Amino acid sequence: MSAGLISGNENTVRFTLDPRTKLALVATVCTIMTSGRVGGIMTVIHPVLALVPFALLFLSGRVKDAASYLLAYAAAYSMISFVMPVTSGMISILIGATAGIIYRMMPSLITGYFVVSTTKVSEFNAAMERMHISGKITIPMSVMFRFFPTIKEESAAIKDAMHMRGINSLRNPMEMLEYRMVPLLMSVVKIGEELSISALTRGLSGDTKRTNICKIGFHLSDLLCFLLCIACWICFVLHVGGMI
Amino acid sequence: MIQLENVTFTYNGSEEKGNLKNISLSIRQGEVILLCGESGCGKTTLTRLINGLIPWYYEGELNGIVKVDGKEIREQPLHILSRKIGSVFQNPRSQFFNVDTTSEIAFSCENQGLPEDEIRERIHQTVSLFQIENLIDRNIFHLSGGEKQKIACASVSAGEPEIFVLDEPSSNLDVAAIEDLKHIISCWKSAGKTVIIAEHRLYYLMELADRIIYMQNGEIRREWTTADFLGLSQREVENLGLRPASLKQIYELHIEKSSGSGFYQLKQMDFAYKGEQQSLHIPAVNFTKGTAIAVIGKNGAGKSTFLRCLCGLEKRCSGEVQDNGKSYSLRKWAKNCYLVMQDVNHQLFTESVFDEIVLGADNTDTNKVEQVMERLDLISFRERHPMSLSGGQKQRVAIAGAIFSDKKMLLLDEPTSGLDFRHMEQVAELMQQLKQQGKTLLIVTHDPEFILKTCDNIIRIEDGTIAEQYSLDTAEMGKLLDFFHLY
Repeated sequence: MSAGLISGNENTVRFTLDPRTKLALVATVCTIMTSGRVGGIMTVIHPVLALVPFALLFLSGRVKDAASYLLAYAAAYSMISFVMPVTSGMISILIGATAGIIYRMMPSLITGYFVVSTTKVSEFNAAMERMHISGKITIPMSVMFRFFPTIKEESAAIKDAMHMRGINSLRNPMEMLEYRMVPLLMSVVKIGEELSISALTRGLSGDTKRTNICKIGFHLSDLLCFLLCIACWICFVLHVGGMI
Repeated sequence: MIQLENVTFTYNGSEEKGNLKNISLSIRQGEVILLCGESGCGKTTLTRLINGLIPWYYEGELNGIVKVDGKEIREQPLHILSRKIGSVFQNPRSQFFNVDTTSEIAFSCENQGLPEDEIRERIHQTVSLFQIENLIDRNIFHLSGGEKQKIACASVSAGEPEIFVLDEPSSNLDVAAIEDLKHIISCWKSAGKTVIIAEHRLYYLMELADRIIYMQNGEIRREWTTADFLGLSQREVENLGLRPASLKQIYELHIEKSSGSGFYQLKQMDFAYKGEQQSLHIPAVNFTKGTAIAVIGKNGAGKSTFLRCLCGLEKRCSGEVQDNGKSYSLRKWAKNCYLVMQDVNHQLFTESVFDEIVLGADNTDTNKVEQVMERLDLISFRERHPMSLSGGQKQRVAIAGAIFSDKKMLLLDEPTSGLDFRHMEQVAELMQQLKQQGKTLLIVTHDPEFILKTCDNIIRIEDGTIAEQYSLDTAEMGKLLDFFHLY
């Protein structure tokens, strides 16, 4: 995960999905996993969706990340299914809370991580264009993506500087936050301004029609993902309606 | 190609700095123009007029006629101008919109709405022209400053503008990267493009520039052909506040060195980044007390890692330092070291210069603070917000903090990058002063003039170890000049 959030695509990934498919997956996993519906068909849907981030990571060659995710999820699942029923009181609540968070939130988080870490900024722009979403929305969003690694870099430098001054203790958290945030905001604002100047002088404007060299488009894998999403949504809606 | 007649420009709500007065200038197609002058002389403002950032981005009062390609810039919005003019800026870190290099090179073509096949063809051409095949499909965040700057040039170049405007493009580059930049500019020149460069470092442009324009206080004061400019004496160039025009002149700058007494001995420094081949391994090295030691080497040789290890930022680095017969682990020794970062904004935290200096210290002895401020010429800024100071003043505030907490070694990362002659000299004077106070300075730098002005010893790092170490006297001068290709 050290490579930064947004893909620079250094090691060419064999398994690719269209950015729109990825969005559909995120929407499906996030909504259904965190909706709080239990019982019935959901006992099948939950594990299936929980396997989605595993499959994504695994297929894109991050076997290690995939394995650690699966372990964490299996642990949380067995805690809830096997350990919680035989404990009681405070311990039961504690286990329920921690395992529940992992059980419900992890799949969404990991799917989200997969999406931002494998989508290039220009792919995202291209996908948004195909969906006829205005540049006035997509340009600020893509700048935001571009900024995650910048913030990480700047923040690491500031952390180092604080360490050298010996002000990394937790004695005064508010002050620490201020020391951390003030230089960070200063430099992020400056970088943001320079970035927009550079983009403007290279002709980025909301008015002209852009082209894009990214090859995005739907393949068999996208079709399968969409089928899965649709199936899950149908079951979910029927379950909400009380039909299954 | 470009015509300016009686142009006057004042930034909205600004101090005097960078405003233009009565500029008249005409630039023909295919010319390479070098704009020079001290910081704040208006050369950056002039570049902004040509690439349309004034009046389209920066607001202010603009009078006079500015024509690019026969048309008034006020009638050509930025996205139209951007097809005619490509701009490259000073900071390699903030010029890219994408995260991967290939999309970045395609960026200006995509904005023009060119067909996909043509964009691919142009990327291919640009990449082979600039010889940057190795940079394709890489994450820009993993590139060095020089490589980022090459991508910035390639991105602009793929848009095929007729005019290129560069604002201090070499500020953050090392010698090798400057050579590459020179190659890129010469490609443009031989393709008949018009190139306008505002720069502090002049030497690398002497073979390329057709005219050299000198600005002062917002006005054009002098103009030379390159041959005439090279005919100026070193003193004349310095009096204009300019960096030398030829690296041969630098050789003359050498001044009195301090010999120092006693040394700190560093032993068995070992470090490797997690999961990476690159490592640092230094069996033993001596730092003479009270001297300035230049740490030189190519990009990626391990210079910055070396500094980071010394001041304790890489916790897994092992090693020890001996001082006066006592031995300290590297972790303990780090308390005696302080790193002044290249971007000094990262290390200023508080709301006043006074607070900044005493930050993290247990006792705030006001007398001592005032002494330190006095010495570093900061006394009049006592209550100012550090972020409101100029770059050089910020640097002094950071150094003041280190001196107040009695650090013995100061480590400086590129303290003179992007500085003009006068400011570079100020930093050099400050270094002399620190040496006199007995501080030992380790300075990572790509600036040969600065080394010759301040440093006593040289350490050259290559492949994560010390390739050679020598003191900077006449006998050894050749080695340094060799490294910077100055013969």
